[in-house]
Amino acid sequence: MATREAGKKMIMLKSPDGMEFEVEEAVAMESQTIRKMIEDDCADTAILIPNINSKILSRVIEYCNKHVPTTGATGAAASDTVAPAALAEDLKIWDAEFIKVNRATRFDLIQAASYLNIKGLLDLTSQTTIDTISDNSLEEIRSFLSTKNDYLPEEEQTIRRENQWAFQ
Amino acid sequence: MNKAARAGAMLSLRGLPDEIVIWEILVRLSPKALLRCCAVCRAWRRATSTHDFLLAHHARQPILPLLENGNELDIFDHRPTRATADQFQSFDICGQNFLNLGDDFAFFHLVASCDGMLILRIDDTDLFVCNPMTRQYACLPLHLGHKWTLLGMYPHPPTGEYRVLLYLSNPDADHKLTPGSYVLALGSGQPPRQIEWPDAINLESEPYFRGSLHWYPTNVESENKTIYVFNTTSESVREMCAPVVIDCANLFEKDGMLGTVIVDYMKTVDIWLLQDFEREVWTFNCRIELPVQQIGMQCDRCDSRLPWKLVVVPGDDALLVLIKFGEWLFHVGKDGKLVATFHRKNVDPTHFQLKQTLVPHTLFQTS
Repeated sequence: MATREAGKKMIMLKSPDGMEFEVEEAVAMESQTIRKMIEDDCADTAILIPNINSKILSRVIEYCNKHVPTTGATGAAASDTVAPAALAEDLKIWDAEFIKVNRATRFDLIQAASYLNIKGLLDLTSQTTIDTISDNSLEEIRSFLSTKNDYLPEEEQTIRRENQWAFQ
Repeated sequence: MNKAARAGAMLSLRGLPDEIVIWEILVRLSPKALLRCCAVCRAWRRATSTHDFLLAHHARQPILPLLENGNELDIFDHRPTRATADQFQSFDICGQNFLNLGDDFAFFHLVASCDGMLILRIDDTDLFVCNPMTRQYACLPLHLGHKWTLLGMYPHPPTGEYRVLLYLSNPDADHKLTPGSYVLALGSGQPPRQIEWPDAINLESEPYFRGSLHWYPTNVESENKTIYVFNTTSESVREMCAPVVIDCANLFEKDGMLGTVIVDYMKTVDIWLLQDFEREVWTFNCRIELPVQQIGMQCDRCDSRLPWKLVVVPGDDALLVLIKFGEWLFHVGKDGKLVATFHRKNVDPTHFQLKQTLVPHTLFQTS
């Protein structure tokens, strides 16, 4: 199965470090930000994506390629013969592999997903951060997000007392 | 030094920009995790205390089924991403951390749920409105509380007030109130106001839907196909067609559509949806074949004559069927597959769900 059939409209995405990525319009439109540009006719043949380097942009495109809801264009997994449940299961496994990246890359992906407004990618990338915040101590949360504690000890105690149940 | 620390928090060096942390990460936390995060740094506390943020946070909360569990209220997080140990969040409603009634034998019954707030009947006498997340509560100002039946709670768009619809079964001579239906604006300080009402309706399920509350009639032997609809803006009642004659049904609201559930004892569950609200057109949606064998195997030592209870509730993404049988709680998906089994001796699934909120409401300040 060819991934780039004739007749499909292609879009060029450019990263600020000069790399160019040719993608199908349908794939690029997984991003609501790009979709809006295309629908408003703000996009010619190439769209510059600011603040997202080529390494991250290529991973974002990889995600969109996998998740674009078309028939046949995304490889064997989207074949008509595969049941929707099996397809969902396949995507889940793929997502789990995709997100096995270091903290810095994950943070970059969160920012890219937020700027490009790709809901699925944002849900996927932010979930591990949400789990980390939900399951760890305040000190661990601070170090994880490089946030400094600017409370006086007694102030922090007061806040803990106000919502004591949340700290149990 | 303090200044430098603050600058660090603002910039989140090597972390994520504050904007992203607040509006993409913190906004998705559970209320409990968010309250903890207020103690991380000043910037987080400030940002997560604004009304806009709290509304956005509420909007992102999942819709979770509620279960009564003896003296506790359980929130059932049925989402597949949750670890089994975290699926039940229990609240000791009458205990010292909550309503603090100073009565170890107090018991409660859940009677309404709306926008993250619950109404509880305590000891069959008093009605309390509370938010389990902020621990705020207020007693409804009703004399002779046991004579009142609460039919539903709703936001009243013209005033922005939260109101409850009540039914008074016996005359209250002291306050010159005659039996009938009343509306009470929570936190307003006003007494209940009587409204026009068809002959007594006293029903248990009230999904909130398109500005209306809905009930089935209780008198099932009349072969009545009527649902009563209470318009929460005009505060008046009208009749609407039900899809079929039913003797065991409840209503639910999912994605802005009203649904009804028809249960064939321990066999199937039929779902009907109100496709066209204006023309009252119901369409058959699906039949769920219950996993009877699997349930039977789990309960092989249970007496099959034991009472069982089945509720269909809209979950976070799809409908879920909850069955209480013997000492077990079964979670069945819309496809009829058994999703999970829990040994929860005393739980009682309710028709209510909670969309948790930390939004402050004035009704707690003035009551």
